[in-house]
Amino acid sequence: MEAQKEAQRIMTMSVWKMYHSRMQRGGLRLHRSLQLSLVMRSARELYLSAKVETDEAELSPFPAAALAPAPNLPQPMTVAEAEDASLQVSEEAIPAPEPMETQEARENEPAPACSCLPPVRNATLSQRSMKPNRKRRSSSLGQGGEAGLVPSKKARLEEETAPTEGKTEVEAEDLERRQSQVEEGPFPSLARVLQKRFSGILSNTAGPPKPTAPPPSCELQPGCRQADHMINILVRTVVAF
Amino acid sequence: MEEDIDTRKINNSFLRDHSYATEADIISTVEFNHTGELLATGDKGGRVVIFQREQESKNQLHRRGEYNVYSTFQSHEPEFDYLKSLEIEEKINKIRWLPQQNAAYFLLSTNDKTVKLWKVSERDKRPEGYNLKDEDGRLRDPATITTLRVPVLRPMDLMVEATPRRVFANAHTYHINSISVNSDYETYMSADDLRINLWNFEITNQSFNIVDIKPANMEELTEVITAAEFHPLHCNTFVYSSSKGTIRLCDMRASALCDRHTKFFEEPEDPSNRSFFSEIISSISDVKFSHSGRYIMTRDYLTVKVWDLNMENRPIETYQVHDYLRSKLCSLYENDCIFDKFECVWNGSDSVIMTGSYNNFFRMFDRNTKRDVTLEASRENSKPRAILKPRKVCVGGKRRKDEISVDSLDFSKKILHTAWHPSENIIAVAATNNLYIFQDKVN
Repeated sequence: MEAQKEAQRIMTMSVWKMYHSRMQRGGLRLHRSLQLSLVMRSARELYLSAKVETDEAELSPFPAAALAPAPNLPQPMTVAEAEDASLQVSEEAIPAPEPMETQEARENEPAPACSCLPPVRNATLSQRSMKPNRKRRSSSLGQGGEAGLVPSKKARLEEETAPTEGKTEVEAEDLERRQSQVEEGPFPSLARVLQKRFSGILSNTAGPPKPTAPPPSCELQPGCRQADHMINILVRTVVAF
Repeated sequence: MEEDIDTRKINNSFLRDHSYATEADIISTVEFNHTGELLATGDKGGRVVIFQREQESKNQLHRRGEYNVYSTFQSHEPEFDYLKSLEIEEKINKIRWLPQQNAAYFLLSTNDKTVKLWKVSERDKRPEGYNLKDEDGRLRDPATITTLRVPVLRPMDLMVEATPRRVFANAHTYHINSISVNSDYETYMSADDLRINLWNFEITNQSFNIVDIKPANMEELTEVITAAEFHPLHCNTFVYSSSKGTIRLCDMRASALCDRHTKFFEEPEDPSNRSFFSEIISSISDVKFSHSGRYIMTRDYLTVKVWDLNMENRPIETYQVHDYLRSKLCSLYENDCIFDKFECVWNGSDSVIMTGSYNNFFRMFDRNTKRDVTLEASRENSKPRAILKPRKVCVGGKRRKDEISVDSLDFSKKILHTAWHPSENIIAVAATNNLYIFQDKVN
């Protein structure tokens, strides 16, 4: 539990540092971005493995067979349902994972043992997040297990946030105000992704926001993996500038 | 170490407290020239300040060659990359001297994108007695010229002028972290995060790419180049270090593109030390050949390692610089100190190595006696001719009187850049915006 919190704290910190490093004079430093993404990945792995253990412990009455990993299960998993019942769903829901990296997808194949199933929480889909400006559909996603990770194209709905000037401290709400600043950067859409996706993480201390009901065309990974993919996307996009 | 000379930058001579120092005065590189007569420093504001050692005179036996300011010039200015909408910092990342071949001195200085060759020359004579113009430079009316004279050179006050002789620009997509002059003195290399380019001093519009580790898909990037240096004696050999803690030695005779290394130095990771931050702290921040060319020294966040070129599977010596920080890595990550890039230097005989730490401490390790010492570069502790007292960090338990506890260390005071005179025991230590020069005790 402690490890999980620590990992989450480090993840949050890394995201913030990555975001903040774009504002620095001299531009994004490749080495620094790489190091931040490495730390984030380590923290993520620890977080997820700690999550697996937590969930395993909770679902211990169920037979072990049901715990076998099945990445193609269509049931979505809600994240952190047991730990935190008061998650805010004010931020937009995490869409179906968009794999930027087949390696990450392969890593995530052994699904956590959440296959025995708490009910799906129908969270309000307030808006879709902006995907980064990448049209990459990796052709190496050939394996059956990963085919389900390729989502269909979705309409984008953007929320207009009032641009406000001024630098502020690290508060989730304040990230939205930075929109005016980030739009001037070289990757405005990426910045918006960062902003919107991580305001969720930063405002929720206990866990990533809940996913929505999955679109029928998508075979979803368990919900906790969605947060994982979200971070993957961020990690990959920031490194590959 | 006895005598110390503390030299402040001219700009903040009126400031007494480090916390008020302007960021532009933060020293970002220090380098002695090949004879040790000159010491160059570069700062974040793009300026280069060169100190020259005074000639020892019979009158001043005790003041054995102090370093005084010789020349100051603005090497790099801030620039703007319009294509990427990015500002290019003027901070001087590295300075490297060329060996002296005539009366002038030459040095290379680099910021993130551009390398410049500077010529520093003295002028102490001035021609007088021109025919066509008078002493102010105004043209004379030819009608007034009745006689012809030969201009003569007359002495004048010494003037040191620095002129940029070459500008090597537009060759690096990523940020330059190292430059290194080849032992042939005709070529040099510049290294950024993913590529290393070879230049000829005479040619500024072309360079050869000799190392390229950029992956076809940037998302597969796993390591970057952190430092590179030519072998001091073999003009075909160089090494470069990576963020994964590995060093590659390359031979330019093998192929034009040295993507395949000749030797690969890596120490297997100790699994007991694994943590979130293992990958970050294993990143090598500096690599230096010994003067003999037989060894290389690498600095990562917590240690300095000496490698024998003939043994690739592990270093021959490992020195703990500040192992007490190993349990504090999370806090150091929070305050960004974990990303600090410390440099390391050899002494002239390769028997002692030196590197910096926090709280304005710097450490020296004697490779022969295996003794080490921690010294502090601070105004309070360094009166002229005072002997530096060894410092000690208390790791836990009872703190002795002179010791300092880990939690009291000031992480904003870090010594990243140091230099050692090529033949004598004189060291230059850059502590934020102050330069300390320490010499050996003279009897």
